[in-house]
Amino acid sequence: MSKAAATFAEDRQRLELAALSAPAVIFTVAMIAFPVVYTVWLGLHSFSSTGKQSFVGLANYSRLLADAEFWHGLWVTIALYVLSLVLQLVLGVWLALVLFHAKRLPGIVRSLFISPFMMPPVVAGMMWLVILDPSLGAANYILQSLGLPPSEWLASPVWVIPTVALIDTWQWTPYVALIVLGGLQSLPPSVYEAAQIDGASAFKTFQRITLPLLLPTIVTATILRSVDLLRFFDIIYITTQGGPGNASNTLNIYGFRVGFEFFNIGYASALMLTLTAIVFGAVLAFNRLRGAVAW
Amino acid sequence: MTDAPITDAWIRRLNLLQLVVAGIIVLTPTLWMVLSSLKPSFEVTAYPPTLIFAPTLENYAQLTKTTPFLSYAINSLIVTIGSTALGLLFGIPAAFAVSWTRISWPAILTLAARMAPGTLFLLPWYVMFRQVGMIGSYTALILSHAVITLPIVIWVLLPSFDGIPRSVFEAAQVDGCSVTRILWRIALPLVASGVAVASILAFVFSWNYFLFALVLSNGDSKTLIAAAFNFIGEGSTQWGALMAAATLIALPPLILAALVQRWLVSGLTLGAVKG
Amino acid sequence: MKAKAFAARLALALVAAGNAASVACAADFDWKKFQGKTVTFLANNNPVAQALLAHKADFEKLTGITLKVDGYQEQQMRQRLVTVMNARSDEVDVFMSLPSREGPQFAAAGWYADLTPMTKGAVAGDYDYAGLSQALLKAGTFDGKLTSMPMNIEGPILYYRTDILKKCGVEPPATIKDIEPAAKKLKACDASITPFVSRGLKPAIAYTFSNMLHNIGGNYIANGKSNLCSAKGKEALETYSGLLRDYGPPGVVNYSFQQISALYRSGRAAMSFESSNELRTVMDGGERLKDTALVPFPAGDAGQVPTAIGWGLAVSAHSKQPEAAWYFVQWATSPEIQKRMALQGIAPPRSAVANDPAYRKWIEEEPVRKQWQAALDVLAAKGSSEVGYPIVANPESREFIGQAVQDLILKQKTVDQACADADKGLDALIAQK
Repeated sequence: MSKAAATFAEDRQRLELAALSAPAVIFTVAMIAFPVVYTVWLGLHSFSSTGKQSFVGLANYSRLLADAEFWHGLWVTIALYVLSLVLQLVLGVWLALVLFHAKRLPGIVRSLFISPFMMPPVVAGMMWLVILDPSLGAANYILQSLGLPPSEWLASPVWVIPTVALIDTWQWTPYVALIVLGGLQSLPPSVYEAAQIDGASAFKTFQRITLPLLLPTIVTATILRSVDLLRFFDIIYITTQGGPGNASNTLNIYGFRVGFEFFNIGYASALMLTLTAIVFGAVLAFNRLRGAVAW
Repeated sequence: MTDAPITDAWIRRLNLLQLVVAGIIVLTPTLWMVLSSLKPSFEVTAYPPTLIFAPTLENYAQLTKTTPFLSYAINSLIVTIGSTALGLLFGIPAAFAVSWTRISWPAILTLAARMAPGTLFLLPWYVMFRQVGMIGSYTALILSHAVITLPIVIWVLLPSFDGIPRSVFEAAQVDGCSVTRILWRIALPLVASGVAVASILAFVFSWNYFLFALVLSNGDSKTLIAAAFNFIGEGSTQWGALMAAATLIALPPLILAALVQRWLVSGLTLGAVKG
Repeated sequence: MKAKAFAARLALALVAAGNAASVACAADFDWKKFQGKTVTFLANNNPVAQALLAHKADFEKLTGITLKVDGYQEQQMRQRLVTVMNARSDEVDVFMSLPSREGPQFAAAGWYADLTPMTKGAVAGDYDYAGLSQALLKAGTFDGKLTSMPMNIEGPILYYRTDILKKCGVEPPATIKDIEPAAKKLKACDASITPFVSRGLKPAIAYTFSNMLHNIGGNYIANGKSNLCSAKGKEALETYSGLLRDYGPPGVVNYSFQQISALYRSGRAAMSFESSNELRTVMDGGERLKDTALVPFPAGDAGQVPTAIGWGLAVSAHSKQPEAAWYFVQWATSPEIQKRMALQGIAPPRSAVANDPAYRKWIEEEPVRKQWQAALDVLAAKGSSEVGYPIVANPESREFIGQAVQDLILKQKTVDQACADADKGLDALIAQK
């Protein structure tokens, strides 16, 4: 092949690859460009009670920096995020391994195992609300019949975050497991065979071989969970609405309430954009990690 | 090596134990929900919780009587299938291109739509779709839900495509295959299990998402999940009907998962190529 | 707006002048004037709307207007409404609204069409504008503009178990001061029963708390400043939070109508201070039918100033066909329809309907219905529609009230701290104009 022909082939290939991602890119830009611009515009305005908007520059953002509720919301968001993510990753990998090794498990049972995340989060929230009700729920009934002290669950300012994290973990661990299971299944069996011949213990095989090979999948799961967890919404919207007090008032819940309950669209826009920036930063960071662990 | 069989049996037993534990934790709440849907409405919140009761289908009857449940379900199906298909159509080539070039910004860009709180989109999209007269149309809902499904498809498929050895593609290129041809003929069959997983996830996320339908649909095109709220209002709380609705809503994704179960495990064959 | 002044206005209810103009127009009133039009109605899918929409076909037949209904639960409806109105869309013609909550804000934002000229213009002869609760009409009037027509009347009332009180030798509380000793006695008598339950969920607290504050004689605003730290304000905060903390169920800070009704309905609470709308849920299954009594909340130093609000039907300011929309509004709030809704258990905002023989017969069927209507009569006569602060930022003011009560329930602050913190935030809201 001549040099010119090679360059031509490369150009053609580059073009083709660009064409492959073009629909996704164009579609996304078409869908989000206007909302983002519009929200930025809204965030720079204040809407007075007479319905007239006035340009206020960055006033909404300086208000945000001075707003104790914002900083509290940030803390709640991060606490809930870290707690839920760690639980879900650890349990998700565990569940994936259990399912992976249970090869004789009928398919239908297998799909039941991953069913919780198929339940609409709003429905899961309602269901847990009933189960965890301190007076009416089955959870305390079970605790008491086991001779354990009852808990106030979602109604305790101390326990509300762990409880919400547990609900979310119940629902989303199977999702992480499903992604990891996909990764496990694409691992070449030859590595296991090699390990078996070496006589490596099950734990060592996992630690030295499976886990490193699974890292790209785990990072993917981390990214997908992160974008949802940092915007924690549904379950709190249903169960506590940010309470008791403001103990579970995540940034997303706070922004929503400012906009749709208190009708302050300008400040809500500033809050939502700030949250978006936080999530964006997290994704960029994890994406670097993805590049680092790819194999 | 001599004690390997013993260890094996031990591991198998341990695995079974873990499976049972996981099963109890995962399934009990769901089972409780299904049981609740068969109780008379007021008994759902009875204390102590009743395990033995006369099962009734009255909650399910109530559903079909008080809401156009079936037509909401059809709306949901149209929107979900449409947005999942769109997500796959745009997402598969994009994931492949990103994996091939290692240029990840398109993948991040599509995820950007999921980085913003859903509420951020409500007003702008309403304004946008209203301009073109699409409020209440399936198209508006499908497009908005595709914003959810697209990044799922891309990000779930990325590791799968990453997992295919470059040598496979290089061999095909030598044979004169174009990139597009490599994608559809060679790469895609290899990531079939990934596509199955991506489809289920996209379907589930789209099926369960209620926020966009709240403003982009109106009476006629309302989705099932947006209608599920109707059972917990002041003066009209019906726990039984809610649980029945929840059970029925969770059914389609479950059925889908059972249907594509075969592909969920077929990824095992992939190893043959990888070696 | 002071609660007392409000109650005084209520006492004048039927004295208000009738609407002469409507009578003049009645002769040439034509229900079919907007035949062929389509009116879109954004409904809160609560029992009020359900009862109304059961007669949807009659409206369409009478007027030839097609009624397109878009129903959601309250919170979702508000979400959709805020979006639609912010976009200045004409998609919604008529919507349901709670003047006591969002009224000042929506009115200030210009989202309501002014119904004043409509009530004086095209009105059917039998509409009887003067027969509507003048208090509720007043509550829906902002800057002289009537923004919504009342659909029902509702408010928190006390449900209590006659059998448990009797068993424990407790007299039904006659004043607020009687509640605590009664609860104490109940607690000692039967530990498995929750003596008293009411709303503890932050945004929901104002609904029931306002009733107690007004009965005690407190008010939210004095001299343009938030007044929770006044002696009466602190008394109300301490009494309300103390009852829930010491005699309420564990986890009461998450309690709103769903949990309260479930607890009471299942027989595990002796007294429940909850919305009159919850009667149906509470009586579901029939177990509470014979052992429940209903009264307005017991009197305080200021007597009884119950919270009485109602859902209203409003016409959107962005509607392209406000006249056709008005036809639906007046049909839906007419004596005939409100009578039919009353027979489905919706407390009517018209005293003529409340005294209608058919409705009375329905009421007499069950003792609880009788007590329920008697309580609602008191609400209609003496009620105040002030739930939270009578300011534009009313919904946000409810947060601060709720926060102060929760701080006390959870013992996170002293009453002086809690009220001071709330007053600080509320003063800022009041200053916002």
